[in-house]
Amino acid sequence: MPANFTSFYFLCFYAIVLFIYYIIPRKMQWIFLLFASAAFYLFTGNGILILYPVAASLIAYVSLRLMAGTEDVKKRRLALLLSVIFLIGALVVLKYINFGINTVNGIASLLGKAENMIAPFHFLVPLGISFYTFSILGYIVDVYNKIAEPQKNFFKLALYGMYFPSILSGPILRYREDGEQFFAPHPFDYRQVTFGMQRMVWGFFKVLVISERMNLIVNTVYDNYAQYPGAYIWIATVCYAFQLYTNFSGSMDIALGISQTFGIYLPENFETPFFSKNISEYWRRWHITLGVWMKEYVFYPLLRTAAFTNLGKKLRKKFGKKRGKQLTTFLAMFILWFTVGIWHEGDWKFVIGSGLLHWFYIVSGELLTPFFQKIMEKLGINSKSRWLDALRVLRTFFLVNIGFVFFRAASATDAWNMLKSAVSIWNPQILVDGSLFMLGLDVIEAVIALVSLLILWIISRLQQKGPVRERIEKRKLPVRFLIWYALLFYIILLGYYGPEYSAAEFIYQGF
Amino acid sequence: MTREEVFATLNEVFQDVFDDESITVNEETTADDIEDWDSLEHINLIAAVEQEFGMKFTMGQVVTMKNVGEMADIIMSQIED
Repeated sequence: MPANFTSFYFLCFYAIVLFIYYIIPRKMQWIFLLFASAAFYLFTGNGILILYPVAASLIAYVSLRLMAGTEDVKKRRLALLLSVIFLIGALVVLKYINFGINTVNGIASLLGKAENMIAPFHFLVPLGISFYTFSILGYIVDVYNKIAEPQKNFFKLALYGMYFPSILSGPILRYREDGEQFFAPHPFDYRQVTFGMQRMVWGFFKVLVISERMNLIVNTVYDNYAQYPGAYIWIATVCYAFQLYTNFSGSMDIALGISQTFGIYLPENFETPFFSKNISEYWRRWHITLGVWMKEYVFYPLLRTAAFTNLGKKLRKKFGKKRGKQLTTFLAMFILWFTVGIWHEGDWKFVIGSGLLHWFYIVSGELLTPFFQKIMEKLGINSKSRWLDALRVLRTFFLVNIGFVFFRAASATDAWNMLKSAVSIWNPQILVDGSLFMLGLDVIEAVIALVSLLILWIISRLQQKGPVRERIEKRKLPVRFLIWYALLFYIILLGYYGPEYSAAEFIYQGF
Repeated sequence: MTREEVFATLNEVFQDVFDDESITVNEETTADDIEDWDSLEHINLIAAVEQEFGMKFTMGQVVTMKNVGEMADIIMSQIED
C-alpha cells in the first residue's frame, strides 16, 4: 500500500477502520486505533522501520516513569536528558549526519582537496520521524516542566506517538492539549463524522485537482531550468507556491478530517497563510504546529539560558536598552531559523529557503519598519489603508516565493542560478504568445487549474469569516446536496489520480 | 505588596516594554488586547517582569500563562515566599 492518503487502498483501509471503530465497545476504541496505526505504518512499506517509533515511545515511557517517581530536580533532568539524547540522537544520525559530511566535502572540493572526501552513509529513514519525534519530545519537556501529566500506560503513549492520521506529515501534536481525547470513549456522532468526511473531500480537491496540476508546470521548469529562463521561473515558482500549499494544507485537511470522524480533534496547521501581511504573521499561519513547537521548545528556552541572559546584559550596556535587546533576540532568532530550516532536511537549500532567508526578512523588517513609518507619516500616507494592506500581502507572497525557489530547486546552487536567470533574462512575451501552454497544461487544463484556484480563493476568503462547513450546513438539503456532490464529482472527473499519476506524493511526508 | 500595587507596577513594565504609555492592564488582559504582544515580545516582557519583581517564572508558567491576572497570581505567590 503506498504511503498515501489519496490511494484507493488507503481509502479501503480507512473505511474498514472507521466501521470497526464504531461497532466495538468504546473502551476498546483506542486500543483498536493503536492496532490500526501499527498496521498502517507496516503497510506503508516501512516494515521493520516501525521499530523506530516504537523505540521512541519506549524511551519516552521510561523517561516519563522516572520523572513521575521523583521531585528531585537532578533526577528529573537526567530523565529528560535520556529522551533528548536518544530521540534527537536518532534524528541527527538518520537525517543530518550526511548533511555534515556533504558540507565538509563541499568545503574540501572548494579547497581543491577532493581526494579527502568522506563517503556519505545510506540509511533507511522511518517515515514521519521529524513529526513523531517532535510530538513525543514536546510532551516529555512539558512533563518535566510540570504542565502535563505523565502517561502511565505505555500503549496509550504509543498511540499518541504513532496515531496514523498524523504520523506521516503532522500536525505535530501537543499532549497537554490533544492527548486525553485519544483514550476517551467516542460514541458515533453523525454530524462529526460527516463534517470530517467533508473536510477530507476538501483536502482531496486541493491535492488531486490543484496540487497535481501545478506539479506538471513546476517539474517541467524546475527540472530543466536552463531551457526555461526568466519569466518561466517566476510562473513556475508561483505555481510551486500553490502546489506546496495545496499539497501540504490539503494533506492536513485529510488528516484532520479522518481524525474528526474518530471524534479526535487535531490542531490546525494552516490559516490561509498567503493572506499574511508580513513574514512574522505568515509563520503564525503556515505550518502553525511547527512554529509553536519551535517557539516553546527552542526559542524561549534558548533566550532564558544563562548564556543568553548574560549576553543580553552585556549588549544592553554596550548598545543601549533597545538595541541591546534587539541584538540578543536577533541572535536567538538566527539559531531558531537555522533549526526550522534544518528540521525539514539536512540540506542547505532548506536551511536557506525555509530558515535563514526568513530570519533575514524578519530582522530587516524589524530594523526598517520605524524608518518606513516615518516616511509614511511625512508623506501623509494612511498606514492602515486597504490598498497598503493589499500591497503588503503581495510583498509577503513575493518574499516567501524566493524561499520556495530554494525549497523546490534540486540544490541551493541551482536555486541561486534560477534566481539569477529570473532577474536577468527579460522574456515577458512568453506570457502572451502561448508558450505557457507548452509546460504541461494545455488551454483546457490551464482553465481548470485557474477555476480551481478561484474556488480555493473564494473558500479561503469565506474561511476567514467563519467555518464554511457550518455555513453550508445551514442551507436547505438540496443546496447542501448539490454543493458536496458537485465538489465530489469535480474531484472525480478532474482530479489526477490512479497509477499513471502516482505523483500524488505528499511533499511533507519526506520530512 | 498588595494586588493593586502589583498591577500598578505591571502597568509601568508593560508601558516600558511596549513603548506605549496608554497601556493599562487588568486581570483579563491577554496578548490579543495589546497589538505588539507577540511571541517575541512575550519573552522580553517576561524578562522585564522578572527583573522588576526580582522573581523567576518557570518555563511551564511562561508558556501556559493565559492572562495578566495569572501573571499577577504567580508574582504574588513568589514575592510572599
